[in-house]
Amino acid sequence: MFKIETLMVLIPGLPLLSAIITAALGKWLLRSRSHWPAVLAVGGACLLSVLLLFQVRREAAALHEAGDAQAAAHAVGYEKTYTVWTWAVVSRALPARATFGQQASETSHSADPPGTTVPEDSSTSADARSLEIGITLRADPLTAVMLVTVTLISLLVVIYSIGYMHDDVGYWRFFTYVSLFVFSMTMLVSASNFALLYVFWEAVGLCSYLLIGFWFTRPAAAAAGMKAFLVNRVGDFGFALGLFLLWTTYGTLNFHDTAAAPGILGQTLLADPSQYAGGWVATAICLLLLLGACGKSAQFPLHVWLPDAMEGPTPVSALIHAATMVTAGVYMVTRCTPLYLVSADAQQVVLLVGMITALLAAAIALTQTDLKRVLAYSTISQLGYMFIGLGVGTLPGIVAGMFHLFTHAFFKALLFLGAGSVMHAMGGVIDMRRFGGLRRRMPVTHWTFLIGALALAAVAPFAGFWSKDAIVAAISQRVQDDHHGASVALYQWVFWGSLFTAGLTAFYTFRAFFLTFYGEEQIPEEAGHHAHESPPVMTWPLIVLAAASVFVGWCFQRGQRFDHFLMQTPSLAFSSAQATLPAGEHGGHGNVAVVSTLVALIGIGLAAYLYLGDRWEVAWIARRLRWLYTISYRRFFIDPIYMALFVWPLRGLAAFSYWLDRQCIDRLVDWVGRVPLAIGASVRALQSGLLPFYAMAMVFGLLVLIGILVR
Amino acid sequence: MTTDSVLYLLPEATLAGVATLIVVLGVFVAWRAVWSWVAAAGLVFAAVFVLRFDGVADGGLLAGDAMASFVRWLVVGSGLLLVMAAARASCRTQTAEYVGSLLFAVLGLLLVASAQDLTLMFVGLELVSIPSYILLYLGGRGVPGKEATAKYFFLSVFSSAVTLYGFAFLYGIGGSTHLVEIHARLIDGVPSGFQLLGALALVLIFSGLAFKIAAAPFHFYAPDVYQGTSPINAAILAVLPKIAGIVAMVRILGVAMPGQSETGWHLALVVAALTMTLGNTLALWQNNVRRLLAYSSIAHAGYMLIGLTVAFAAQQTVDTVSQFDGLAAMLFYLAVYALATIGVFAALTYLGDDQRPLETVDEMAGLGRSRPITALAIAVFMFSLAGVPPLAGFWGKLGLFASAIAFQPGQAGGAQGWLLVLAIIGLLNAVVAAGYYLRIVAVMYFRSSDRPAAGEGGAGAWTASFICALLVLAVGLLPGPMVNASRQAATAARTSVQQDAVERAADVAAGSVPFSQTPAMNEPF
Repeated sequence: MFKIETLMVLIPGLPLLSAIITAALGKWLLRSRSHWPAVLAVGGACLLSVLLLFQVRREAAALHEAGDAQAAAHAVGYEKTYTVWTWAVVSRALPARATFGQQASETSHSADPPGTTVPEDSSTSADARSLEIGITLRADPLTAVMLVTVTLISLLVVIYSIGYMHDDVGYWRFFTYVSLFVFSMTMLVSASNFALLYVFWEAVGLCSYLLIGFWFTRPAAAAAGMKAFLVNRVGDFGFALGLFLLWTTYGTLNFHDTAAAPGILGQTLLADPSQYAGGWVATAICLLLLLGACGKSAQFPLHVWLPDAMEGPTPVSALIHAATMVTAGVYMVTRCTPLYLVSADAQQVVLLVGMITALLAAAIALTQTDLKRVLAYSTISQLGYMFIGLGVGTLPGIVAGMFHLFTHAFFKALLFLGAGSVMHAMGGVIDMRRFGGLRRRMPVTHWTFLIGALALAAVAPFAGFWSKDAIVAAISQRVQDDHHGASVALYQWVFWGSLFTAGLTAFYTFRAFFLTFYGEEQIPEEAGHHAHESPPVMTWPLIVLAAASVFVGWCFQRGQRFDHFLMQTPSLAFSSAQATLPAGEHGGHGNVAVVSTLVALIGIGLAAYLYLGDRWEVAWIARRLRWLYTISYRRFFIDPIYMALFVWPLRGLAAFSYWLDRQCIDRLVDWVGRVPLAIGASVRALQSGLLPFYAMAMVFGLLVLIGILVR
Repeated sequence: MTTDSVLYLLPEATLAGVATLIVVLGVFVAWRAVWSWVAAAGLVFAAVFVLRFDGVADGGLLAGDAMASFVRWLVVGSGLLLVMAAARASCRTQTAEYVGSLLFAVLGLLLVASAQDLTLMFVGLELVSIPSYILLYLGGRGVPGKEATAKYFFLSVFSSAVTLYGFAFLYGIGGSTHLVEIHARLIDGVPSGFQLLGALALVLIFSGLAFKIAAAPFHFYAPDVYQGTSPINAAILAVLPKIAGIVAMVRILGVAMPGQSETGWHLALVVAALTMTLGNTLALWQNNVRRLLAYSSIAHAGYMLIGLTVAFAAQQTVDTVSQFDGLAAMLFYLAVYALATIGVFAALTYLGDDQRPLETVDEMAGLGRSRPITALAIAVFMFSLAGVPPLAGFWGKLGLFASAIAFQPGQAGGAQGWLLVLAIIGLLNAVVAAGYYLRIVAVMYFRSSDRPAAGEGGAGAWTASFICALLVLAVGLLPGPMVNASRQAATAARTSVQQDAVERAADVAAGSVPFSQTPAMNEPF
């Protein structure tokens, strides 16, 4: 029906159009109808994304079946790229130095059988390489999965926002930003070169900043927006350095092969992975990219911005800060799998970062009293899980990380929107100590939240179970495979750590659930007449997401559908990635599933015991383990530590610079500024206004010139 | 003179005819506004002819090269804008005489544009100067106007004499009035015993032309004259003689006098540095707008001389056409300067009323509110003159400074360091200049006034300034075509003194060149 290129352009194009329309007309014309462009555009984009997914699936399957055909024999995975236009060309940007990509193409040139389409001129243009940045979009299984996830969640959140944001003065502004975000995010996952990826990486950051500070008149919101922006700058700095290193190493920034150069993740290099740069360069690239991913995906030590980001409207928290944007780091690392597979060190760093983050955030979530903050820390913790999956370093682990991204998007969006529904009813109050027992007043929210909580706690058969189980299974597989390896202890620790974290997750999720919906009914006075179930426009997205949270895990895990589809992505389909697949048929992680379900049930049971009914043990534990409780409640004191280590010294430096500027440099400049005036004043007298004097001055000047020059 | 030359001179002939018609019939026709329209129509016809008969001149007195067409476009365009801007203001005076004189001045400038001969060049220069005296007299008001006219007249006559004196020496050593032959004679060095005369001719011609472009120390007249006359007269004086001077410098000093490079670059460098520094520092002190702009125009003459300095220094090197061509940069700057200057004076004309023009910077307070479009146009001109991107003036300064910085000496290396110093002086001056340009912008936008400007200068003035602002913006955003045109012009100026030599030699052999003075002075006179 649609050509695949048309779909690739339309999916980001529609939200962009909606953003422009809403921005131009929202304030004057659309006003309370401002949601229509966004709903239609995002809905359209969602539909087209599903079409794209099926098209990719069909074509990839066709490619797979025609395995013996000449064309497919050399293709690694399925990909399709489409250059909308070439955005920037800098000729001879890279000096004449043999780059990695060049060496690669030269050697592979001789090794390739005739008839393959290795770019001819890449080996001959030995003098210089030009930098060419195209607006190039790509379609492959990974992008298709991301597109469907992003647009589907976006659509539901946009619909939900109609109810949540009604009567807000910035109604049109909200939908403009959200449309802009959907455009940026779809472009981010469709980009086929690192430069474009970076541009939209920043663009989603900008949208996030705008939406966190949406109620910018509240100082907390403005400060949170600033914090998110600044912390992300640290990560993006690393990302940018990573790109520079990629450019100097490979001489291109493209994912795909072009006539000028073989792409970093292109068919030429993937066909012969030994061409990837190794050693410290590989590790440095991976770690720099990881720093960028840590910023965007709120991983330790750059996780501090995400809890504060909850100052934004709750739909935004659901969409950007739980389901989509924060997963960009996971997406990027998955996309760069070939780079990470070269460097075992970098992979272990990914694993460690994920583990630390998962455990730390779960420990903090135990004691928070703000419902959205519990969910925020849980998001950080679950993102940590995804990084654990990526850091395992085997294909099942990576795919499991992506699968967790996919399922998590549904149930975490559900939980956030449920929290938003509660917040909406409670008149903006989100502190769990001030409300309780809401299950009768808000039945739909209650039941859907329960489903979300079960999915997050990873209870079978809800979505979170399948994906978390896949990650834990991948680690245990790694432990088994590596039992002679030097770093087996690390994997062992991560295995037990992730199980423990799963227990913590179940506990804090149900703690929040019980505190909110059970116990004595308690409603803050801010709620007023709002304290009832939310309108259908808000509850229907909850119901859809709840249904998804029940089924997506089971549906897509069945017969390894998700895995097989995703593995046709070039970055995951190439030989050294496939080599990490376990040799035997792996049906044998049933015991892992049993253990992790047991752990989840223990966590839920403990939460039920402590928080269903008013137990004296809660206060007793808090008192007896006061220091542990304080550390968790104060979030491991990371914010004060950062204040002391970075913020205050920098403020001091800024104050000093300000003083230096005002007292020294400005005065110096003032003095310099007087020099021209003084020169002018000294020659002003010459301009006497007398004609004879002028004539004499000219004659005198002429004579001086002649006298000096004519010899 | 062949048919080609006649066709080539059609623009000049048209202007001469129209100007004569206006001056003669002006006595009988009372309705004065008509003459501006007639003059404009004449200029449009001239433009059409420039377009139609581009580059068909033979190799005689006229060089129908890219340089000539670049300057002719600039001149006809400037003339049209000036006639538009003067439409209302000239009605107060003897319109016919005023507009007629303006056309004569434009005609003189067209001759300068393609003159390849000292005689024709001088006639052209005088044809610019003499109508200027009349314009000053007609456009001036009261005693200050007469004082301005007198000052300009006497000093201009003096400078013409100096120029002519220099021409005479050049004729003496070159053995011809024709630039191609002078070039051919001097390419192998000044005849022995006449080295002194070569340098003398250079200094004299340079000094005479320096008066036309208001370069120090021949700039004294400019502030007094601009202040004493009307804004539109100031525009005419700030643009037409400057184009004439720069073009004559390119044609004679820049390309036709090889072997004077050593004297040349020293001279131009000193005068350039002196001129821009004097102009900018003195402009800082001014409160009268036209006086301020007079100093600003002096400073711009200084910037343009950077290009001439580079061109002189480049004559020493083997490769005369470097990547950054001084003459091209100078021509580009000239065009950009002309646009912005006509624009700002047109805007000032528009802002004044019948009784008195806008005098001081303070009177411009609050224009941002009371005359938003004119104020915006003035702001565009100020930013362009200050050299702020993305306006045309930025590219002009960039070209000039880059030509000085990028200068690569081939054989003699003495100039390189000094050119760098000159570029730095130029940059410092640009910073100083921003001070007074931005002051005007600040006064317009950040100060309010209870007495808004009259704005009775006529629709023509308003339109002229608007068009200029658009052009400044357009050239700023798309500098490519104009840069290329100026490069081609400079290259053509260089090659036509050389290539014509071959053709002319053939003509001389055929005995068909009446002005030829070839069997000239090999022995001392």
